[in-house]
Amino acid sequence: MSSTTLINPDGTALSRDPLSRDLAGQDQFFADVNSELSNKGFLVTSLEDLATWARTGSLWWMTFGLACCAVEMMHASMPDWDMERFGAAPRASPRQSDVMIVAGTLCNKMAPALRRVYDQMPEPRYVISMGSCANGGGYYHYSYSVVRGCDRIVPVDIYVPGCPPTAEALLYGIMALQRKIRRQGTFER
Amino acid sequence: MSHLPQIPGNEGIAERASAILGPDLIAATEVVGELTLTVAREAAGSVLQQLRDTPDLSYEQLLDIAGADYPERAERLEVNWHLLSLKHNRRIRVKVLTDEVKPVPSVTALWPNAGWLEREVWDCYGVLFEGNPDLRRILTDYGFEGHPFRKDFPLTGHVELRYSEEQGRVVYEPVKLKQDFRSFDFLSPWEGQWKLPGDEKAAGAGGDQKAEGDQA
Amino acid sequence: MTEILDGEIVLDPTLVAPDTKIQNYMINFGPQHPAAHGVLRLVMELDGELIERCDPHIGLLHRGTEKLIEYKTYLQALPYMDRLDYCSPMSMEHSYVLAIEKLLGVDVPMRGQLIRVLFAELMRISNHLMNVGAHVMDVGGLTPILWLFVERERIYQFSEAVSGARMHAAYFRPGGVHQDLPAGLAETIREWAAQFSNVLNDVQALAGDNRIFKQRNVDIGVISAKDAIAWGFTGPCIRGSGIPWDLRKAQPYECYADLEFDVPVGNNGDCYDRWMVRMEEMRQSLRLVEQCLNRLAHCEGEPVCTLDRKVSPPKRGEMKRSMEALIHHFKLYTEGFKVPAGEVYVATESPKGEFGIYLVSDGTNKPYRCHIRATGMSHLQAMDFLLKGHMLADAPAVLGSLDIVFGEVDR
Repeated sequence: MSSTTLINPDGTALSRDPLSRDLAGQDQFFADVNSELSNKGFLVTSLEDLATWARTGSLWWMTFGLACCAVEMMHASMPDWDMERFGAAPRASPRQSDVMIVAGTLCNKMAPALRRVYDQMPEPRYVISMGSCANGGGYYHYSYSVVRGCDRIVPVDIYVPGCPPTAEALLYGIMALQRKIRRQGTFER
Repeated sequence: MSHLPQIPGNEGIAERASAILGPDLIAATEVVGELTLTVAREAAGSVLQQLRDTPDLSYEQLLDIAGADYPERAERLEVNWHLLSLKHNRRIRVKVLTDEVKPVPSVTALWPNAGWLEREVWDCYGVLFEGNPDLRRILTDYGFEGHPFRKDFPLTGHVELRYSEEQGRVVYEPVKLKQDFRSFDFLSPWEGQWKLPGDEKAAGAGGDQKAEGDQA
Repeated sequence: MTEILDGEIVLDPTLVAPDTKIQNYMINFGPQHPAAHGVLRLVMELDGELIERCDPHIGLLHRGTEKLIEYKTYLQALPYMDRLDYCSPMSMEHSYVLAIEKLLGVDVPMRGQLIRVLFAELMRISNHLMNVGAHVMDVGGLTPILWLFVERERIYQFSEAVSGARMHAAYFRPGGVHQDLPAGLAETIREWAAQFSNVLNDVQALAGDNRIFKQRNVDIGVISAKDAIAWGFTGPCIRGSGIPWDLRKAQPYECYADLEFDVPVGNNGDCYDRWMVRMEEMRQSLRLVEQCLNRLAHCEGEPVCTLDRKVSPPKRGEMKRSMEALIHHFKLYTEGFKVPAGEVYVATESPKGEFGIYLVSDGTNKPYRCHIRATGMSHLQAMDFLLKGHMLADAPAVLGSLDIVFGEVDR
């Protein structure tokens, strides 16, 4: 890396070169890992932490777009919000996905299909219920053909409120799920 | 100028239709610029064909079939066909009255897209279409019972779904709501109302009255 | 051992595979399929890779909207319209509010009409952005949808600025629109509109002129003009077959009659033509957006909603000062307004085609019956007709070109 001095727009020199920033000062965890690796060449951690790290880092979500919320879900994975920053990538097959985002109104006719898709997912599996309709029927709660909440069909980990929740809210839901996985941190589900 | 869709007027269409259709035409009414032909039920098929094939009418496109339910009428169900003439840029509505058992002629032979539209009216209102080769339910659940859009069908239906851990499948159960649907009747007149709903103390007669919104 | 019996050669079954009766193959496309644009179940009978029969099963998103509307006041039922075709929410509201206005006999001020047209066209762009991108993605090109969704996000921001909601705006109200454009929004839209056609050019260059995209779409799912009429096609699908039918021209509503735009038509009625019609419609919508913005600049401060206080509520500032305004507001949001008895069918040119509302009023504050003429119903019904004899891989292309959204088809 060249050692040219970087200059602010107003002409003053930058106090710290952003390209070689002092990571230890910013992220204790990163610094610890770094020094551990450079000193010993290996890491010692609990298996539980390792599993949790792996789980939270690649939450492949099953694209279960049912209704309006599916559009916001698409927006969340598109360039503006870019859910893949958090390791959450869309996956069209239940057999390879970790989390199912139930995005939209779940109707009676669709409920058996939803359950079947859930049953096909491998453990550990998580469910995010997105939007009022999936949470509890919402605007369609009293309809004769709507399941009053997808938790009647599958166990739900995170509820994201809104009609529809914004893409930002869904991202927050993903982060909330990651927190939940870290917190519970067991192999059993 | 109005901001509503500007459609050429229907001058002379009702007369022309009555000349062609003769006794099959029961009534022709024009309200807010929309022409409605009420026709005899048995003749609906031939009426629609004539409306389509007569050159100066030529309603070529069947856009929609809408059912409706008026339980207080002797023939409670109603079927409305909405036709559009691309050539003359006109719309028309053809209406027949029927009930739960009297079949209405199908127009699947005239317009292929009538198939689903008729299935929908059958599904939602239980109107039978004679000659539709594929009169299955379309919108409601597989194995659904009843016709949901009829006025006597409850809004929340009769069954709801739940996943049963014991049986390992999705099961139907009778509807059990935590809170009933509250239908507020705001038609209680503000003008000219002398007895307030729920005011039991006011002169015995009104005591049993209960505001309809109080059911919850 | 092979032998000859009565002049007929009988092969030794141990030497050759026995004759197998070739059966047609039934497959289930959906109800959960990434290319199904929602919750469609296609039951297909295949002869090898060829589609013999295709029976779409719909209703997997049937939410009973029409029934629910009968239990709500006119204003409470309005947001159901947003949730029908959730790719272009405000266009759905448009037909509904026009139907109410037709029964009520209410006029909309010019500024209200302009804002409606502005947002109806933005919704058209937003809908086509999604469809055009998804169509390319369905046949294997991932890039355009990534570009187009950046633009779509901008339109959501406009929607949020004007109504507070990104998608389900409930912005068109009987008598006009809910509120005026916030300060500076017109300029923001103008800046966006100035650069938007570059993205369209990019997509056209990348996908529209792409050899593979053409091979997947040209002469696939062809429907002639005659058949398109018979099958009840409307919107870009009928225009793709060469019929210049556009309700904005044929039966102009709002101020479309005063605005300049062209109606693109296709020649062959195949998937590629429908895709190209949508691309061109976005450019035409852009023209309309610019005209609306120019006209809006000349009527700053004029009312955007009717001043008939029996239909549209007073402004909050007015409510703070006037008792009558407060009563009007209270009555409108509890009882709602009563609509004279009658029945109307009002249709507008939604991005997908003719979206009609058949509204029956019995003179009370709730609709007696509200039937929704779903555009996609007729289009999807023609799947069997369009797919017969095509390869299985053509099914997503045809489905994408028809622009189906299940909120609207299933209601």
